This record gives sequence, C-alpha cells and structure tokens, in this order.
Amino acid sequence: MKRALVIALLAAVAMPLLLAAARMPRFGSVEQPAYTHVARRYLERGAEEAGAENIVTGVILNYRGFDTNGEVTVIFTACAAVAAVLACSGEGRRPVRAGTPVALSPVVRYVVRLLAPFIALFAFYVVVFGEVSPGGGFQGGTVFGALIIVTTVVVGRDEAERLSPERPRLWLQAAGPLSFLAVGTVGALLTGWYLGFPHVPRAIAASMLMALEFGIGVGGAMVLAGIFWRLGDEA
Amino acid sequence: MPIEMGRLFDLGLMTLLVLCALAVVRTKDLLAASIIFSAYSLVMCLVWDHRGAPDVAMTEAAVGAGVTTVLFLSAISKTVRKER
Repeated sequence: MKRALVIALLAAVAMPLLLAAARMPRFGSVEQPAYTHVARRYLERGAEEAGAENIVTGVILNYRGFDTNGEVTVIFTACAAVAAVLACSGEGRRPVRAGTPVALSPVVRYVVRLLAPFIALFAFYVVVFGEVSPGGGFQGGTVFGALIIVTTVVVGRDEAERLSPERPRLWLQAAGPLSFLAVGTVGALLTGWYLGFPHVPRAIAASMLMALEFGIGVGGAMVLAGIFWRLGDEA
Repeated sequence: MPIEMGRLFDLGLMTLLVLCALAVVRTKDLLAASIIFSAYSLVMCLVWDHRGAPDVAMTEAAVGAGVTTVLFLSAISKTVRKER
C-alpha cells in the first residue's frame, strides 16, 4: 500500500518534469534561451571586450565577475565550516594515531613520486593558459589540490604539515576572495566600478584576469587540501 | 535509418550513467558505493567533454572522480563501512 503510494507520488512529480523537458529546445539549437539574449554579444565582442581570448574565461571573470566572486567566497566558507565543525568535537588538532598505519604499496609510492612534477606542471599550465584554451583557475586549482592530497597520502601527514605551516596556509586558503577584493579595488580605482576592467591598454585587463586566475587556483587547491587534512584529524 | 556515431556514443554514456546511479543506491557496502560513484563521475566527465565543455570535464575528473572519493573514503574510515 505504502509502496504503491510512493510510486504514484513519484510518477505524479516526474510526469510534469518530463513533459516540460520534452518541450525544451533541442540541445545545441539556436532557439535555446542561452543563445537568444546576451550570448550573441559575448561571442561577437567578448574577445576584445573582456580581455581574454577564451570566451568562457571572459564570461566567468569579467562579464559575470560578481557571480564568481560569490562562488569563491562560498568555497572558502565551506572550508571554514568544515574546520569549525571538526574543531568543535575535540580540543585542539591531533593527527590520527589510532591503530597501526597500513604500509603503502611501493607501486603507488613510486608512481606518485614519478608523476607529481608532471601533474604540478599540468596544473600550472591549465591556470596560465586559461585565457586562450579551456581551463583556468578553478580547473588548475582542483588538479593541484588533488596533487596535494595524493602527495599527503604518500609522504604522510606530518611531513605535509611541515611543508605548509599553519599561518600562511590560512591566508592561502582565503586567496580566492582576497584576490577578488584586491582586483576589484584596483578596478574601482581605474574605472570607478568594483571589478571594472579598463578597456584601453589590454595588458592591464589581462594581468588583472591573470591575478584572479592565480588567486582562484591557489585558494581552491589549498581549500581542497585543507578539508582533506581536517578530516584526517581525530574527531 | 542511419544513426550517427555521436548519438550512439551519447546513448551509451547515458545508459552507463543510469546504471551507475542505480548501483550506487542499491549497494549496501559504502566503500563499493564510493568507488561506483567515482566511476559515475568519470562517465559524467566524458559526457561533459562530448557536449563541448572540456573545462567542466577537467573539473569533474579532478573533483568528482578524485577528491570527493577521497573525502568519502576518509569519512568511511572514521565511521562504519556497512549501511544499516
């Protein structure tokens, strides 16, 4: 009885959703709302207006800079929330010492050591070339964050902590919002709007975008690593 | 009726996605569920790339398939492995 009720309810919810989906324009069709409003302008003038040849980067950091500013703040807040919740349940931070640590397979250790510099270089490449090719701060940052996590697994938590002291790490975790604040203020001084990008000397807008990319990348990587390390603490 | 390769590929990926999603919900072993979820992310990464969003695909591979799985695993290692 209950089961039949659940199925009926799910069908009642799914029906209108599926009908609505069927009425949407097809994937890639020019009728899509995404193509009928601002996209035309982005495509036609984005490359010279936004200061980045990659239009996705131009939209994310320039046209929709405020959205990205908010997103970056949300990511930092998530890290702060994880730290706050996990810090509540125990006094101070104590790395886990429960039980005997499982020895890592030499294959894993060797492969990680071999690949680490290449992964780091790829992350750097993705951040730097975000202006002209797919990629950017978020993408490079997540790749670098994954690298930090996998390196922590191999070299051990103590060594990883020794390499990144607490005080600068906290500042690096806030690098995303801080870089937006700095670049936004520079933009306000140059154009009169927060996060405004000057058009005329292209180099200025390009270097502002690059500063944002690096801020997002470093902040994202450190936030991912920070959440992982916090989870490794004894709760 | 000729079917384009691209659509066939899309169809295969979507089928895999649905299968992975069902498997994640049905497994009682949380460790296995995290691994299947990671596979789901990998398929999703292919879907993004095929749909012309390589930057989203890159993030999906690093965050969805990599970092989230690691976070799930460390959460499981602190709690229990079996779903009750």
